[in-house]
Amino acid sequence: MTDMKHTGMEEINIATDVLVLGGGLTGIKAASEIAGSGYKVILVEKDPELGSQKGPESLIGLEEEYKGLQDLEDKIKTDSNVEILTQASLVSAAGVTGDFTARLSKGEEVIEHNVGAIVVATDFATGALNEKYGLSPADNVLTQSQMDELLASEADKEKLANKTVAFLVGLGQEGNPLVLERVLRSVLALQEIDGCDVYIYAGELKVASNGLERMYKESREKGAVYFKLTEKPEIIENGKTISFFDTVARRDIEILPDFIVVEEELRADQLNEEIAEILRINVGPSGFLQNDNVHFFPVRSNREGIFVAGSTREISGLPSAWTDVENIAVEVRDLLGDGKKSVAKNKAVVDETKCVICLTCYRCCPHGAIYWGDKKAIISPVACQGCGICASECPMDAIQIGGFDDGAMNEEVKNGVVSGNGMPRIIAFCCQNSGFEAGEMADIFKMQVPDGLRMIKVPCAGKIDLDYILNAFVAGADGVMVMACHPGNCKSENGNTYAQWRVNDAYRMLEEVGLEKDRLCFVGTASNMGSGFSSIVVDMEKRINELGLSPLK
Amino acid sequence: MSAKDKKIMVIGGGIAGLTAAWELSRFNIDVELIEKTPFLGGYAIQYCCKATDECRQCGACTVEAMLKNVVNEPKIKVHLATEVEKINNSGRFSVDLKKSSYKPDLSTEGVIRGYSKNNSPLHVIVDKEKCEGNPDAVPEGAVELDTMGFSGKFDVDAVILASGFKPFDAEQKGTYGYKKFPNVVTGMDLERIIRENATVVRPSDGKTAQKIAFIQCVGSRDERLGHLWCSQVCCPYALRMAEIIKHKNADAEITVFYMDIQNVGKDYAGFYEKCKTEFRFVRNIPVDVFPMENDSLSMRYMNEEDGLCINEEFDLVVLSVGIVPGPDNSNLSDLFDVGLNEDGFFTGIDKLNSTSTLKDGIFLAGTVAGPKDIAASMAHAGQAASEVIKHLGVS
Repeated sequence: MTDMKHTGMEEINIATDVLVLGGGLTGIKAASEIAGSGYKVILVEKDPELGSQKGPESLIGLEEEYKGLQDLEDKIKTDSNVEILTQASLVSAAGVTGDFTARLSKGEEVIEHNVGAIVVATDFATGALNEKYGLSPADNVLTQSQMDELLASEADKEKLANKTVAFLVGLGQEGNPLVLERVLRSVLALQEIDGCDVYIYAGELKVASNGLERMYKESREKGAVYFKLTEKPEIIENGKTISFFDTVARRDIEILPDFIVVEEELRADQLNEEIAEILRINVGPSGFLQNDNVHFFPVRSNREGIFVAGSTREISGLPSAWTDVENIAVEVRDLLGDGKKSVAKNKAVVDETKCVICLTCYRCCPHGAIYWGDKKAIISPVACQGCGICASECPMDAIQIGGFDDGAMNEEVKNGVVSGNGMPRIIAFCCQNSGFEAGEMADIFKMQVPDGLRMIKVPCAGKIDLDYILNAFVAGADGVMVMACHPGNCKSENGNTYAQWRVNDAYRMLEEVGLEKDRLCFVGTASNMGSGFSSIVVDMEKRINELGLSPLK
Repeated sequence: MSAKDKKIMVIGGGIAGLTAAWELSRFNIDVELIEKTPFLGGYAIQYCCKATDECRQCGACTVEAMLKNVVNEPKIKVHLATEVEKINNSGRFSVDLKKSSYKPDLSTEGVIRGYSKNNSPLHVIVDKEKCEGNPDAVPEGAVELDTMGFSGKFDVDAVILASGFKPFDAEQKGTYGYKKFPNVVTGMDLERIIRENATVVRPSDGKTAQKIAFIQCVGSRDERLGHLWCSQVCCPYALRMAEIIKHKNADAEITVFYMDIQNVGKDYAGFYEKCKTEFRFVRNIPVDVFPMENDSLSMRYMNEEDGLCINEEFDLVVLSVGIVPGPDNSNLSDLFDVGLNEDGFFTGIDKLNSTSTLKDGIFLAGTVAGPKDIAASMAHAGQAASEVIKHLGVS
């Protein structure tokens, strides 16, 4: 470690090898791109095979690109910058970004690697939905995967000549464009076969992907019949007859298909949960590995240096997986650089004389940036995002955040309570990502804002100590506001939740000293809504005016 | 090779252009960002936050954050009210720029304002005559449009086309009465109404609308217009804005006329279920809107249960207009010799690499290459930046 004096910065060395978990096509592409940027890659796959053999469903519609994918697969196998471990899995991952120690097991062997970044690139899995339609497996009942297999073989295709095929889609699940694309491609392929009639029983057609509307139209022009329903049709004798009441024609419509093809669900890889636990990253909706939080899109996880690609984070075909991988390549380059990183020295400082290694900080850090040594907790300056949740949660007040230390914050609170001619004095603690930006917008756009309002900027609402709130009242504030990001929009994931808890604590204390609850409020704000900010603060002033000035003054 | 001497031109200052420029600047690459209007941010900067008591992942706040990144980044040189006149490809690209032909709407005031506090200048004087005799009309720091724009030339190593889309012009569907009836608005109008007022009001009287209809697929999935694509953004924005209306006014009655509801966000199934309990969904697209008393509107549609036609009155009708190719696409296609697809959007070399083009050194980012929401535009711009970095051989 070299000190760069007078700058408040220091330079540290970080590991530049990268671990890629998942040897499907997305993982291969990630390994190839990252190796191409000059970093060594360890590519880990649980199965014996890599690449296209693993998930043929993801190749749908990529006939023209297939050759290139094969080339990519071959190239990666001979790339000296890529170490491939098949039939291997991740056992543990200690440390933080720039310095992870990953332990991988392969057979009896355990291999240890020091890596700077980790990419998770698992594939989606398919699941039959026959039960949802009350259909049992039979010669005439096919899953979408079975239909794909039939269509892939010239010999099997002939069996479909002069047959009637019915598809069921969007009635057994909400579905998505990739599910529909699989159906549309099969329909178009069937229409190339002599005498094959195709009927599609569909719920909502999820056409929100490039080219699907055109395929839908093309298949209709070629004679495919779509019945758009709001509930499942009546399926008799395990798919021998399908019937429903047509509300336009005002009669029952009955079809006797030779084959009935049932849509499949596309779901998260079952390995995801285990990987998430080992890497301490969050599991989002439906078992995919990314929170539903816009600040993480496209490829970030809650931990710096751990990235999620393609179907790891949401159901996606290869085109969007490729987009993800290119974004990861940029992120990895930016993070690892040439292995030397300049970081702020005072981002988050732990006072050794106060720290008792209780690990509260380790548990509450949403970025997984904290570990511990013999004498104190250690906050990685590379992984730390400076949100300050740890500083406010620390029971020993042992952590200070650069630019937002407690002394300066309390001074700002005191100075913020300005004397006025009977106008309410309001202190608004504003997250720099939302409330503060909205407040500046309201000001610049000359929207209505009370004269006695003072904004105090915090790095995240999670940095607002209970003390700050109480001190504001002690200093004579007539009202105190906590302006955080909306739930689900916090860059530090739950800084706003911590802030809400502290406000709830403060409510109880206000009650004890006999101060009205309405003098304190917690609100969600957005950086681009100056109008929202204005209406919230004007309402607050109105409420305070009704209550009168603070008796604590 | 060092990034030091490399320079990239990004055409278009919307969310894709901003993101591409910023991603490149992270690697010390110089960027010339060209925007034909007097403001950065494109359409996306005009969108409102769609949170109710929780975030709905519309991404509008990320546009604001990206704009702030860009205006504070010295590696990015911004040229407002500017467009490309000529380009010459001889290894590097030699570019001639000129003042853009941008003209604001005739109906606007003498001074127009940017949508973000990060716009600089924030106010632009577009019609001096309208401001004469009224000193209050011209805010401090306002700049005359006539004095803006960059004429000159420079050489660049690669170009990213990020000139965006155009919202479908609802006047093309004349039977909806857009611009004839004050309470027929587009989704784009509703974004601005909410952003200005933090709530939904009727344009005719500024009152809260009680009965509201959303008509989906206006200008999208429309064979008669030859628009054979789903715009991918309209179901998400319509349902999210309907949620805001319901959140602010629990008594509001909202009807959504639709063909197929597209997924909204990552937890789409849960979100749609919630919407179904709060709004009425009618799988039928009305064709005509008739004016009624008090500026209300009547629509005729078929009831799915009994197949009968119904006339129903609404306070406010929202046309969920979609994404159509940007007005500059054909001109840019000629200038850069990169073809357009049958829908009028640019396309990449293949489905997997949708940001590189057949023309070496010319890349695509965002809706210039087809419908995308904010998150997808940003991701596409990141992909374009990655391809550019590879193209330059920067290490």
